[in-house]
Amino acid sequence: MIDRAEASKYLVSKLTDEVVVTSLGNEKYDLRAAGEYVRTFYNWNSMGIASSIGLGLAMARPDLKVIVYDGDGSLLMNLGSLATIALRAPKNLIHIVWDNRSYAMTGGQPTATAYHTDLGVIAKGAGYPKVERVETNAEFGNIADRALVEPGPWFIHCLMQEKPVAGGGLPSPTAIKHRFMDAIGAHH
Amino acid sequence: MAWADTVVAVLKKYNVRYLNYVPDSKIEKLLEAARNLGGFEPLPLTREEEGVGVVCGQSIGGARGVLLCPTAGLGNSINALASLAIAYRIPCPIIIGVRGDLGEFNPGQVPMGQATKGILDAMRIPTYSITREDEVEKMTEGALRVCYAAEAPVAILITNELAGWKEGRTRT
Repeated sequence: MIDRAEASKYLVSKLTDEVVVTSLGNEKYDLRAAGEYVRTFYNWNSMGIASSIGLGLAMARPDLKVIVYDGDGSLLMNLGSLATIALRAPKNLIHIVWDNRSYAMTGGQPTATAYHTDLGVIAKGAGYPKVERVETNAEFGNIADRALVEPGPWFIHCLMQEKPVAGGGLPSPTAIKHRFMDAIGAHH
Repeated sequence: MAWADTVVAVLKKYNVRYLNYVPDSKIEKLLEAARNLGGFEPLPLTREEEGVGVVCGQSIGGARGVLLCPTAGLGNSINALASLAIAYRIPCPIIIGVRGDLGEFNPGQVPMGQATKGILDAMRIPTYSITREDEVEKMTEGALRVCYAAEAPVAILITNELAGWKEGRTRT
């Protein structure tokens, strides 16, 4: 099983000009605890739609790699986005899904992936050209390195056990937006 | 110019490039007008909530998109509008093909169609309802100006008074 906090540190250490969109789950706290990366669009409560925000960003900014930091519970709420992403197939999209098989923020209730559902198989069926299942931090590092340079869209299905997460709260939504847009030189 | 040609001409004037949509007979008129005018990229969605995420992603990336959907689809997008477009103050124009109002044949469309204005008001989303051909340009342009000035969602309703109602199989 992957240690998500360690993997997040590895990923942040590799980032240069990429942008990151998080889901609303605990993965965003591990990412933030790994180091403040200002090109991150943190998600306070938009259930399920990190992947869709990432698709819109990947369309608007084909010059930047877009990393979606998603979770099993969130993605299960927006499985249709996998079909839409595959249809558009942005080469600059890296969809990382942290699968702890539970709704960790609400008391650890099991998600469908605790039973019979395999999100990687669904992504493949939706039409993602590059789907990888990773179970160790070494594998995560190898695949992340490839995804950062090779065309996608990538779907990186990471199997993990949930652990307590470090870190405090987030900046306000508007502060997150302005910081992000300033960092990439975007205007509405 | 037909209403749909006028709407897409205004979208182009405001540099709206991405037409993210869930189809409907009125939305198809807009997509057809956009194909004729050129310069747009349509993206078919599986669900309108997705579309709010996509428009907001395009917007924070510095590009402009619009969500095109029927009234039923507004119901599918409420928390995305509230938690993302409104909370983060992201411009998100929505063009809604009205169903469930004047002349509706489908009983499943009527409750959502009738609730649409009240829901938008409760969300404090500025709403511009176009009922006349001679107001299409002013209402569309005016709505987009508010959207980008306020950095917020706005709704443009393409009504049956303007675009006609859909003929369908009535109840037996």
